[in-house]
Amino acid sequence: MKRIEYTITDPLGIHARPAGLLVKAAQGFESKITIATDAKSADARRIMALMGLCVKGGQAITVTCEGPDEDAAAEGMESFLKANL
Amino acid sequence: MFGKLKEKLGLGGDDGLAVGAPVEGQAVPLSEVSDPTFGQEILGKGAAIRPSKGRVVSPVDGTVETMFDTGHAVSLRAAAGTEILIHVGLDTVKLGGEHFTIHAKNGDQVKKGDLLMEFDIAGITGAGYDIITPVVICNTSDYADVSAVTGSPVAELDPLIRLKK
Repeated sequence: MKRIEYTITDPLGIHARPAGLLVKAAQGFESKITIATDAKSADARRIMALMGLCVKGGQAITVTCEGPDEDAAAEGMESFLKANL
Repeated sequence: MFGKLKEKLGLGGDDGLAVGAPVEGQAVPLSEVSDPTFGQEILGKGAAIRPSKGRVVSPVDGTVETMFDTGHAVSLRAAAGTEILIHVGLDTVKLGGEHFTIHAKNGDQVKKGDLLMEFDIAGITGAGYDIITPVVICNTSDYADVSAVTGSPVAELDPLIRLKK
């Protein structure tokens, strides 16, 4: 299992567009990818659940990747987050 | 005439296989939305409405999953399991809540036709935003087919999206 901590820099947080792009990025990997805040967690492939985290700018999230390509998934998610959020 | 009436009656039964228009306006294909997140169906299939009235009502009986605190978008989970995102305008998250009035909150149980939010069409377009309102089925992959009823004006709760299991 791989874990990444990330603090959202986009002041608008995870709203509809980045949630959609995040799902698309997560779909590129076989591993189960979970995004968690202090309050809740969501499967990175479920748009509704991701938006439901209500992640704001400046908030810290934890990304967990578990599966055969977890190293690549963790790297991929980290670069996605840096580029988009 | 009769066919249309039957369609409406079909919608009346809560079989979860159709989603009515949450906003009054002109129904158009999602492909007419210039934002690729919607236009390329990244968030799911659905339809879009060019609003003629600044009101969003619940198209289904269900639960408010996420009411964005900016009031520009709301997601709902229908009792039948359908996940619906209604996004008023493009990039309107940037308005920070201006021109939007919220009438429901996360976790609220709502009935078809219940008012969820109001928005000021002139205010939003005047601020330079496209008011087109995508209505998207977030769990599109749970259905064999999601198709839009577009090309004509729709009143609130008129048929907008059909779902096939």
